[in-house]
This record gives sequence, structure tokens and C-alpha cells, in this order.
Amino acid sequence: MIDLLIEYFPMILNGLLRTVQFTFFGVLVGLALGILLAIGDLYGGRITSTIIKFYVEFFRGSPLVVQLFIFYYSIPNMFNILIDYFTVGFIVFALNSAAYQKGYIKGAMESVYEDQMTAALSIGLSKAQAIRYVVLPQALRIVIPAWSNEFCSLAKSTAALLYIGVPELTSALYSIGSWTWRYLESFALGAFIYLLWITAVMKGLDMLYNKVKIPGIEITV
Amino acid sequence: MLECRNLWKIYGKIVAVKDVSLEIREGDIKLIFGPSGSGKSTLARCLAMLTTPTKGDVFLKGECLTKPGVDLNKARARVGFVFQHIWLFHHLNALGNVELGPRRSLGLPKKEARERANQALREVRMEEWAKHYPAQLSGGQQQRVGIARALAMHPEIIILDEPTSALDPELTGEVIDTLRDLAKKGTTMLIISHEMPFAREVADEMIFFDEGTIIERGSPERFFTKPSSERARRFMARLIKRTRRE
Repeated sequence: MIDLLIEYFPMILNGLLRTVQFTFFGVLVGLALGILLAIGDLYGGRITSTIIKFYVEFFRGSPLVVQLFIFYYSIPNMFNILIDYFTVGFIVFALNSAAYQKGYIKGAMESVYEDQMTAALSIGLSKAQAIRYVVLPQALRIVIPAWSNEFCSLAKSTAALLYIGVPELTSALYSIGSWTWRYLESFALGAFIYLLWITAVMKGLDMLYNKVKIPGIEITV
Repeated sequence: MLECRNLWKIYGKIVAVKDVSLEIREGDIKLIFGPSGSGKSTLARCLAMLTTPTKGDVFLKGECLTKPGVDLNKARARVGFVFQHIWLFHHLNALGNVELGPRRSLGLPKKEARERANQALREVRMEEWAKHYPAQLSGGQQQRVGIARALAMHPEIIILDEPTSALDPELTGEVIDTLRDLAKKGTTMLIISHEMPFAREVADEMIFFDEGTIIERGSPERFFTKPSSERARRFMARLIKRTRRE
């Protein structure tokens, strides 16, 4: 197994970097979009909220692979254009993750009770300022545990990029397996690499959570 | 200074505030008391424009706040509010709680906002606790920070909605002391409270409130000796009995 790692190291490393890239991009852009969607859903009125609901249900209710296919084959076909698989991957991961993260963030914002908003208004803050300085800072702290779940799941979903030909980690392992006929070892090695880097990130998020948590308040999720 | 005329607040079929007119002049300390659920808090929130009245007008220094197009954020910045359940911002320490208003709502420079916040914390004798978070403070200390948060805005009037009723009896004393200090400085206040000895000491006028409206108003002496309405008489008797027990 070690000899596989040594022999194909550049390829495996490249694949891993791609995987890491897609995960981080998806989670971070998804976070930014998720915050906007959550605010829109909570404070944007009925029409905005309905549009957001359709968006979220589409991305939560269909398989990731189908979403990749739609953006890679169907949409370019419709408009007679070509989109490369990297762009497609980034777009789909960000949109998909945003749909999930919106739910977590909205829940956390709702759990920051109405009274925090009232207190913020009482000192003359506008609603937007109250969200910015009072509701979001608390909600984002609360959301970290749920958020690490999202990270974990998205990190593994990147394997689906194999279907549109992105040379990420799983596709590298697949190639190595088929060249050497040592599938068992190559996938076992792959599982170990996934495990390693995901655990490292989880540990990091744990540390972040402990660092930013509000003194005197334990959040249990 | 702060005035409401023919104020109504109706939630569905429930009439919380029924045709109330009230004026608080500069330097006044008015005290509202009455049974729970009688609409005192709703009235207080309408006066602070934290709730929009259904009917009637609210005036702050002659400026009507209930007509459309008024910048309510600016108006709220001029009226301090202290909540029954305190409602400090959980994620900020005492100083951060007090500083936020001057910094973001009034837009003061960082240094100036901090000075104001420190000054306000000194006024409630909480300067030593500036770095503590709400969850690390006792209820009484939290409420003093809540008062400092209102004070730091240099409000023209402070409305206090039962500032001690959520606290243990042994913690109400320190909050009452703080309010007594404010009274001595001539702070204009509208206080909802059932702390009768304190009321007798500081209030210029007491207002007995029940079923959404003012039943009787007058000097503390009058309420303590011969309230004219039967309801006020009975309520006072109960309160005085309770106070003696404590």
C-alpha cells in the first residue's frame, strides 16, 4: 500500500488538493450565500421567502450527481455553450451547500430570541444593524457544530465530481486501481486519506468553537 | 417631554391599552403600578415606540412619533428602556453591551463611545465588572448593566419596565439603590414597579393602572393614605402587606 502512495504520490496529492479546494470553496461561499438566504427568508417578506424555499427544496431534494449533470450537460446544452468541469463543480457545490447552510443559520438566528432584537432596537439600532451586531454574531457561534456536520458531508460529496471527470481524489484512486489491479489497497489508502484530512478539519472547527464561545454559556446541539 | 394622547393598543380581540393619555415632563419621576396583565408593559413599549400603537399619538419633545415617515431609530435612541428580563446581549461583555449603542447607533468614534460606556458603568457602580459577560454576572449586576446600557445613550427619558421583578428579593436592593442615585440626579423616568417604599420616596406621581387604562393618579401620599378608588385601595393594601412580610 505504501509503495502505491510513493509511486503515485503526485497524482494522489493533486487529487487531494482538488478535493480540499472544492470543499472549502463550497463551504465558504455556501456560508456567505446561506447567511443571505437566511436573512432573506426571515426578514424579506413572503415572495422572497417563497423563492428561497423553492431554491432550497431543489438542492436538498435532488441528488448531487443529478445537480452536477444538470449544470454540466443540460444547461450548457440548452444555451449551446460550454462550461468546464471546474466551474460547474464550484457553482454546484456552493449552491448546494448554501441550501443546507441556510437551514442551519436560519434556525440559529431564530433561536437568538426576539428579545435580543427588541433590546437592540431599544438603543436606537436599525434592524439591519441589529442583525449585523447582535443576531448574527450569536447565531454564527451557535451554528458551528451543525456547520461542522455540513463540512464533513460536503468533503465526502466531492467524490461525486468523478462523474463529470474532475481529477479529484476518488478519481485518482480509481485510476490507480485500474492501472495496477490493486483496487482494495488503493481505495483503502484513499479512505485513510479522507479520514485524515476530515478529522483534522473537524479538530480545527472544535478549537474554533471553543475559542469563540460565549463565556458562561454552553451550547448543546 | 414624552407624551401620549388617546393611545390604544389592540391585539386581535384583546385590548391591551385603552385610550390612555399621559404626559411626563422634564425631571418628572412617574411610577405606574397595577395588576399583572393590565397592559403596563404594553403602554411602556408604545411610549418607547418599540411597539406601534393601534390608535393615538406619541410625542417626544413635541415631535409626533406616530405619523408616517418618522425616523424611529433616532427617536428610540433618545428614549432609554430597561427591560424586566434585562435582555443584555449575550455575546458581549458588560462594556461591549453599554458601548454598542453610542458606537453604532449614535456613530461616535471608538474612544468617545468607550469613555461614555465607562462613565455609564461607573454611574451604576459596575466599572469593575466591565470585562465580565452577562452569564458571569448576578441578576442584580446584569440589571445594573442594563441600566448603564440605557444611560450611555444620554437619553432624554428612561422607561423602566419592572426592573426588579425578575430578581431575587436580596438582589433588588442594589438595583433600587442605583435608581435612587438616578432620581437624585434629576433623571426623567417612567418606572413600572411595585417597590412601594421606593415609590413613596422618589415618585412625583403614582399611576394605578388596570384593564388597560389609568384608574387613578395622584401623589404617593394620597395612595398610601386614602386612595379614592376601591380597586386601588385593595391593591395597595395587598402590596403594603407583602412589603411588610419581606
